[in-house]
Amino acid sequence: MLEATNELGNVALQAGGTLTDANAAAALAVGLAALGAGYAERGIGSAAVGAMAEDDDLFVNGLILTVLPETIVILALVVVFIV
Amino acid sequence: MSAVGSSNPEYVVARVRARRGSLYGDEEYRKLTRMGPAEIARFMEESSYGADINALGSRHGGVDLIEYALNRNLAEQFDDILDWSEGSLYDLIARYLRKFDAWNVKTVIRGVYTDADQSAIEVDLIRAGEFDDRRIRRLLEADSIDAVVEVLEDTIYGDPLREAYAEYEETDTLVPLENAVDRAFYERLLSGLGNAEPTRQYEAFLRAEVDFRNATNALRLARSGADIDPAAYFIEGGELFTRDSLARLARNLDELVEYIGDSQYGEELGPALRELEEADSLIAFEHATDAALLAYGDRLGTIHPVSVTPIISYILAKEREVENIRAIARGKEAGLPADQIESELVIT
Repeated sequence: MLEATNELGNVALQAGGTLTDANAAAALAVGLAALGAGYAERGIGSAAVGAMAEDDDLFVNGLILTVLPETIVILALVVVFIV
Repeated sequence: MSAVGSSNPEYVVARVRARRGSLYGDEEYRKLTRMGPAEIARFMEESSYGADINALGSRHGGVDLIEYALNRNLAEQFDDILDWSEGSLYDLIARYLRKFDAWNVKTVIRGVYTDADQSAIEVDLIRAGEFDDRRIRRLLEADSIDAVVEVLEDTIYGDPLREAYAEYEETDTLVPLENAVDRAFYERLLSGLGNAEPTRQYEAFLRAEVDFRNATNALRLARSGADIDPAAYFIEGGELFTRDSLARLARNLDELVEYIGDSQYGEELGPALRELEEADSLIAFEHATDAALLAYGDRLGTIHPVSVTPIISYILAKEREVENIRAIARGKEAGLPADQIESELVIT
């Protein structure tokens, strides 16, 4: 997958430097932030489900903690509005 | 329950931490030491052991009921942990839990050797290891040691047992067979561990356990003065002893105590060693090694919160709880006073 991304980058650069376009860069920023949030939620989510399986009362806490990394995507979204 | 895929420590650690919270604390132990066997069983029924007490309550009673319920609960909890874990995490946990397989194999062999009743053997098994129910049933149905060896042919115990069986036939003692099982277990325990930092700490813990096992064996041999070759009981993998140094030290108790006192474990085991010299009692030393392992396990669980170590830490704490409750129940049955039972418990 990494090679494919590299290829894509090369093609994009040859095609006239798409990434210098502010809108494209902002889109990339949001996408990467979402990827990071997804990775963080993977660990928290599985831990939350584990905790819930032992004790149902932890549902609300688990849910809140699981979506907490989502804030990073919202912060990244700010970038879209200021470019 | 498989060793494929990526490992999922987050899930297992979360579940194990929740269960750790329901282990008995000082307060419960204090209550338990003041109860009779029937009251202990009722107390357990209201805690996490409820299902086990109820399932076995119709067939057993008194201290036996407590003991079998403890074994059943232990087996179920550890089976659960193996069920949840995947990938390299499964491998790391299974390594340690295989000791119950080794225990089961030895129990079956001893049972067959003494012509014990099949159901009598069955209640002594702890089904916490990797063997599934089918293999355990086949083990129980085996009517000779040869048959036991055959059932285990495709496991890690197959080849070592086959070799030891020849020796067993010559001498008609179980020692070669039991040594073969133990050695197969310990060989697998420490081979091919990864290099990640949590795994290294886990490995250090396993090595400490091997060291303590060697030290206890050597102390027993040195005290009994029996004419047994200590090297035959040596377990590979520890840091404290080599086969030669153990064989030399086991001949002289004073030298051995001094050697352990000067080692890296000296600080933790020091008081117990002094007691050993004064009171000539091995029990204090064995308790000190248990407590040192448990304290180390507790520490392990906090340094790398999302790794194998908190799980191992829970497994240790659970094992210790089961042993403590058993000690209380057996002590009560024998009519020991509460404060003496309390001194037998290992609580951190």
